[in-house]
Amino acid sequence: MDRYSFSLTTFAPNGKLLQIEHALAAVGNGATSVGIKAANGVVVATEKKTGSSLIDVSSLEHMAMVCDSIGMVYSGMGPDFRVLVNSARKMAQQYIRIYMEDPPVRILVKELASVMQEFTQSGGVRPFGVSLLLAGVDERGPSLYQVDPSGSYFPWKATAIGKNMVNSKTFLEKRFNGDMELEDAVHTAILTLKEGFEGQMTEQSIDVGIISVIPSAQSGSATPKFQRLTQTEIKDYLSNIM
Amino acid sequence: MDALFAIAGRDFVISVSDTSNARSIVRMKKNYDKTYKLSSHTLMSACGESGDIANFAEYIQGNVRLYSVRNSQDLSPSETANFIRNELASSLRSRNPYNVNMLVAGVDRNTGESSLYRIDYLAAMSKVPFAAHGYCAHFVYSVMDHEYKEDITLEQGFAIVKNCLKVLKERFIVDFPGFTIKVISSSGIREYSTDDI
Amino acid sequence: MEYNGSAIVAMVGKNCVAIAADKRLGQQALTVDMDFKKVFPMTDRAYIGLSGLATDVKTVHDTLRMRVNLYKHREERVIEPRTMAHMVSHMLYERRFGPYYIEPIIAGLDKDQKPFICGTDLIGCPNFPSDFVVTGTASDNLFGMCEALWEPDLEADDLFETISQALLNAVDRDAVSGWGAVVHVITPEGVITREIKNRMD
Repeated sequence: MDRYSFSLTTFAPNGKLLQIEHALAAVGNGATSVGIKAANGVVVATEKKTGSSLIDVSSLEHMAMVCDSIGMVYSGMGPDFRVLVNSARKMAQQYIRIYMEDPPVRILVKELASVMQEFTQSGGVRPFGVSLLLAGVDERGPSLYQVDPSGSYFPWKATAIGKNMVNSKTFLEKRFNGDMELEDAVHTAILTLKEGFEGQMTEQSIDVGIISVIPSAQSGSATPKFQRLTQTEIKDYLSNIM
Repeated sequence: MDALFAIAGRDFVISVSDTSNARSIVRMKKNYDKTYKLSSHTLMSACGESGDIANFAEYIQGNVRLYSVRNSQDLSPSETANFIRNELASSLRSRNPYNVNMLVAGVDRNTGESSLYRIDYLAAMSKVPFAAHGYCAHFVYSVMDHEYKEDITLEQGFAIVKNCLKVLKERFIVDFPGFTIKVISSSGIREYSTDDI
Repeated sequence: MEYNGSAIVAMVGKNCVAIAADKRLGQQALTVDMDFKKVFPMTDRAYIGLSGLATDVKTVHDTLRMRVNLYKHREERVIEPRTMAHMVSHMLYERRFGPYYIEPIIAGLDKDQKPFICGTDLIGCPNFPSDFVVTGTASDNLFGMCEALWEPDLEADDLFETISQALLNAVDRDAVSGWGAVVHVITPEGVITREIKNRMD
């Protein structure tokens, strides 16, 4: 380790902040997550890696609902993710407290990204070892964002993060098209994860979340809702793929 | 018991204030100037709690001056009035609010237009053609209502002031020792004696 | 609440809303200004009327304008009347134990051009009536006038006439409001603003 690796707030002579590079490396070691934006919603999916067969996988949660219309998934360090889920949920509730409506995805992403940025410039802290995928639906329609440890964020039509990011993205570039419905997108997301999946993929080893536009009967306006697929639902999708 | 009023024409404002500084039933000074020059073209007159006035006016004077020094440019009358209102409004919700009523008169050096703002101790501000504070308001408002017309000349303004002073002398039980009469116009602030007008 | 005097009313029409206010500013019985603004455009489609203590009318308007502008820049969109109503309600409740002495009315058209009106009390308790909402020292009188004159689905012209008559006749029986009035009718095509004269005493 050289002398620029420790103090987070010190630039290396080549203009890099090495701790952020290291954080990205932690993300690169993490389980692959993919996200795809469909015409009528968004899907996010991730691997559930377990070190031991004794772990009760059914209770592992690798993705989280932030508020009704927004969900998030990560690649990297689980404990860091939970800290960010906490603050994202708090931000969403604070927004709802003021405006009585869910925050637009863009706003939540910006706020969350600014929290992550703060951890690259403050003293005595380290950056978050996670990249996030935030999926949501607001008045502008469905959207999918990636947020990195540096605090930078990107809007995507479809993307992947984590260990198998490069291959997954190549796969998505081939398979993605803009008119895809949510059903198709879920299939594509699972297929993408299947590329480079180590071992047998079962309903226990992946987590899938969808956010869909559900037209409500009374007002005619759309109420988006984030849901994690149940194991039976995932099983159905998997059996269609086989 | 103070007399404080002002009349605005298109490009001038006449500010009138009495010169009596009293505490309870005792007159401490009979040639007291209740006006405060904020810039070359802005004048503030104040009545209320005399300690509060001295402190608040000095604070405003200092800060308006500081702005001019920092930015090599004076605040316009409307900027000045809004600044004063803001300071008074924040003081209103503090532990010991200032008890000051003010008239802010000025001429905008860029447009040449005059303006008159009336700010009471609650920091309620209004831009008006003529204004008065205190007990004297009950006497002079009716005179000004009756005689004021849009686009009055300085002479017509002085005539209204004379009538206001006449009514105060005749109907108000307080006897004022004298009045400060100042006119703010594009050429700056000029003082007149009661005999001049 | 009664120190400066005010009367404000908002009404729902067919694809339009109207908001009207008197112009007097007084210090109890003494009239100080006959052209005091109490209704402010916050967006092209949403107006707010603030009745009550004049100093807080200005303070709340200034603060709200700042918050609406910050919202516009942060969210890159214009605030909806309903969202603004919740924003106002939240802002007033922040001062729960040292309130602003005002009772606001919000009127506007939402993104689907649907009429929206809302009134709150001084600590931000909102209510969303479907017909009309009143506030100020002449609110009792306004309730009576609105109850008598308002009917559903008034077109913009009729709504203007109804709200004007309701306001003018209400302030004529209130000593501390009146001295002329201003009426805004908000329609999908734009806002029609008219100043109206009445008894100046």
